Amino acid sequence: MSETARRSVYRVAVLSAVGVGVGAAASAAAIGFVELIELLNEILLISPHARIQYEETPGLVIAATLLVPAAGGILVAAVIRFGIAERRALGPPDAILAVQTGAAPPSVRSGLGSTLAALVSLGCGASVGQYGPLVYLGTLIGQLTSRLRFGLHDLQSISIACGVAAAISTAFNAPIAGIVFAHEVILRHYSLRAFAPVTVASAVGYILANVVFERAPLFLVHFDGVRHGYEFILFAGVGVCGALIAVAFMRLLTESGKMAARLPIPDLLKPGLAGLVLGLIALQLPEVLGIGKEALRFATIEGAFGLGELAALVIAKIFVTVMCVGFGFVGGVFSPALLIGILFGALSGATVGTVLPDLYSGVVVYAICGMTAVFSPVIGAPLTAIMIIFELTRSYDLTIAAMVAVVFSNLVANRLFGRSLFDVQLANRGFDLSLGRDRAILRNCRITELGDMTAPTASPDEPLRDALDRLNSAGRAEAPVVDADGTYHGILRAGSASTMAADARVRDNISGQGLVFDETTTLWDALERMRAFIGDAAAIVDSRDRRFLGSVTEAAVIGAYLDTVQVLRREENAAL
Amino acid sequence: MQRFNVIICAALIALAAPVDAETLTVVTWGGAYEESQQKAYFAPFEKATGAEIKIVRYDGGLDELRAHLATAKGAPEWDVVDMVLADAHRACAEGLIATVTTSDLAPAPDGTPPEDDFMPGTIGPCWVSQLVYSTAIAYDERAFPGLKPAGIADFFDVARFPGKRALQRSPIAVLEWALLSYDVPREQVYHLLSTERGLNLAFRRLDNLRGNIVWWSSGDEPPAMLQSGEAAMASGYNGRFFHAIAEQNAPIAMVWDGQLLDYATWTVVAGSGNKDLARQFVRFATRAENLAEQARHISYGPTRASARERIGMYADSNIPMHAHLPTAPRHMQRAVRQDHAWYAKTENLRQRRFASWLKSLPESDRP
Repeated sequence: MSETARRSVYRVAVLSAVGVGVGAAASAAAIGFVELIELLNEILLISPHARIQYEETPGLVIAATLLVPAAGGILVAAVIRFGIAERRALGPPDAILAVQTGAAPPSVRSGLGSTLAALVSLGCGASVGQYGPLVYLGTLIGQLTSRLRFGLHDLQSISIACGVAAAISTAFNAPIAGIVFAHEVILRHYSLRAFAPVTVASAVGYILANVVFERAPLFLVHFDGVRHGYEFILFAGVGVCGALIAVAFMRLLTESGKMAARLPIPDLLKPGLAGLVLGLIALQLPEVLGIGKEALRFATIEGAFGLGELAALVIAKIFVTVMCVGFGFVGGVFSPALLIGILFGALSGATVGTVLPDLYSGVVVYAICGMTAVFSPVIGAPLTAIMIIFELTRSYDLTIAAMVAVVFSNLVANRLFGRSLFDVQLANRGFDLSLGRDRAILRNCRITELGDMTAPTASPDEPLRDALDRLNSAGRAEAPVVDADGTYHGILRAGSASTMAADARVRDNISGQGLVFDETTTLWDALERMRAFIGDAAAIVDSRDRRFLGSVTEAAVIGAYLDTVQVLRREENAAL
Repeated sequence: MQRFNVIICAALIALAAPVDAETLTVVTWGGAYEESQQKAYFAPFEKATGAEIKIVRYDGGLDELRAHLATAKGAPEWDVVDMVLADAHRACAEGLIATVTTSDLAPAPDGTPPEDDFMPGTIGPCWVSQLVYSTAIAYDERAFPGLKPAGIADFFDVARFPGKRALQRSPIAVLEWALLSYDVPREQVYHLLSTERGLNLAFRRLDNLRGNIVWWSSGDEPPAMLQSGEAAMASGYNGRFFHAIAEQNAPIAMVWDGQLLDYATWTVVAGSGNKDLARQFVRFATRAENLAEQARHISYGPTRASARERIGMYADSNIPMHAHLPTAPRHMQRAVRQDHAWYAKTENLRQRRFASWLKSLPESDRP
């Protein structure tokens, strides 16, 4: 067997094992996580199923509604303070960042802390989502596996993607959506090397969820098909309106943290306060508590809600979710987006039903269109959204209707906001994926890493002649001028030295500053600024104290660019 | 094998040992069900122990037991009560019944201990559930010669399937069915019924039946109502319908969709003067042989695996019983498992809501 073939067999073995191992572990963790939340909801009187069993002691139910989310909030704040080094919730953006840049994700301890905080938040009925924490749980398990030394350079990305795919596949009971989500949102490429183990992991998740633990499909609804062709125009309309709701929701979410930061309340008390307000609202509208699975189902039943109720619930759910996330509860935004979307969809359906009572296909299809229109721009994954609908409803007709809504919704939301909430959050943290991952990675490479201190420099006080001699013998035409303190003064160009007088000093012959980068300059900026550059090298100078950090040649910048692009190209086209 | 035979013989001798000719009072449900118990449990027990079994009939619920215990002077007269599992949960919580432990139960004939032989959840602190029965819908074949009702939604569709509906005058099964008719998944039924919205939707569906309801209270009434033409569709216990079909050749067909699975459960009354005899009876009646024998006379599924393996033909006919049990795999696909704890805790709420709905009905529908 040749060496290449042996490497191939080795890779296939490792990647299959990673797919199975990470898939099984992430899936089991996801099942455990979801079961624990349900158990907590039951014990803490958050779920209606538990609350109704105490309807003869209404005082107890009211007390639980007010106090459980508030107490949970205080606990969450403590976990964030003492358990998470980053002092914030970890979620899909962190997974995306680790996979896209190959950088180490947040520590395992932080990951566990964030998962615990999410468990408490969701268990106590905070209006946050469970899929964000589940995605991070998959990331955490993928991250643990990548520590094993298998000698594959892209193992971290692949095993994180496997963990995420298995978590999604298990939680939604949707293996195809798991695969698509891992590629569309996390990996952002479709190489066979990643695709194979991710698919294995997703299938393992599905097998565990269905065969071993027998979890029921999440969202089987009955639908007889779209009755009138023109309704597809209405679905597109639902898509556009859904996008507006999604954009408002995402804008408020990105602003909510800043708004909360301005409040003069200690951080340790903020989630507790949000919990109390949530409880107060829940006394009137119990649907806003937790994930709201019951309301999700009722939204597909004709006449379960009145028009006014639907509108009130959409607004209330947006408000409490923004408040919970902004004030520091830990959790995702996907489940709330599902609920907001489906309620909005039901509202659209009920409106159409009122205007054209005999000419519409029932509330189900509008509810599903609304749901997809709102959640797909939030996660920025139209393909995943379509797959989720297909796998959850197992209905071709509903999927095609939802597809129309998704396309229009994503078009509008992309224009108005960006690709997804995750991408905008990452962009706010300086990692902008909106114009491709190569640009984002180049924008995260600091030019200082390419700085070269070995090239000849000149001192301002030395004789010009000496400096030029040194340049000549090094075959250079210019040199940065740096004094004894390391401060940068400018550039000395051999061709433009005006005098060759014996007493001429370098100081008097500096020909300007030349092209200067600083410690914040990224590889991308450097490439942009070097477009019209003629010369040997650009200087890298500390913007704070003008200290010279090295020089960088055009060849080094282009070389680094080619290296990065090549790594990406290899990763994106890797076969097994 | 030799050893097991010895154990069985020893057990039989122990059972047959003379006990003072005592009287054990067993409270149960009457009709074909009681007949099957007579053949499988009561007569053999009397023969084996010499004790006399006195039967008291009731229609479920705990009101009668509460009243009986409240008025009893000294030890109550009732010793053993056959109740539904949700009632057993409540009775246990209220202290109406005594503890029953696995050591009170006989192992399977092959020596499997009871806890591995019974279905999970059927042995509780004060009870042992002996069989699975279901409350299901059946219809009169003559009323629907063409299109047949096939799903639970058809029960509420009096336009497509006209005719009277016979319903138990109690909020059991009917709320689940009403909600199921909106196509909600059966796994979610109790979570949805736990909300105000879910209850309202269920009662709204029941409103469809206004003007078309006849009420029943005892288990042998629904098959009779279908046979007499008093009702075109009826809710009822699957075993009673089967009995009418098999014994009387009644033109009745089952709709298994949405069948509500529940357990018939033996309990020993708290403060019973015959506690030992009562426990001996429970041990005897839940032996695999006796359970299998009962399933030959009524189409209810034993909760013991070792008993299910032993079920044969119906009585002395050629009808294999397996296909008629609620636990038959094709009937299980659309079955609802009753949430017993939820049932026990929501009893008052359901009764209250049901009573106020009854009041809203037209005069002709009132019980």
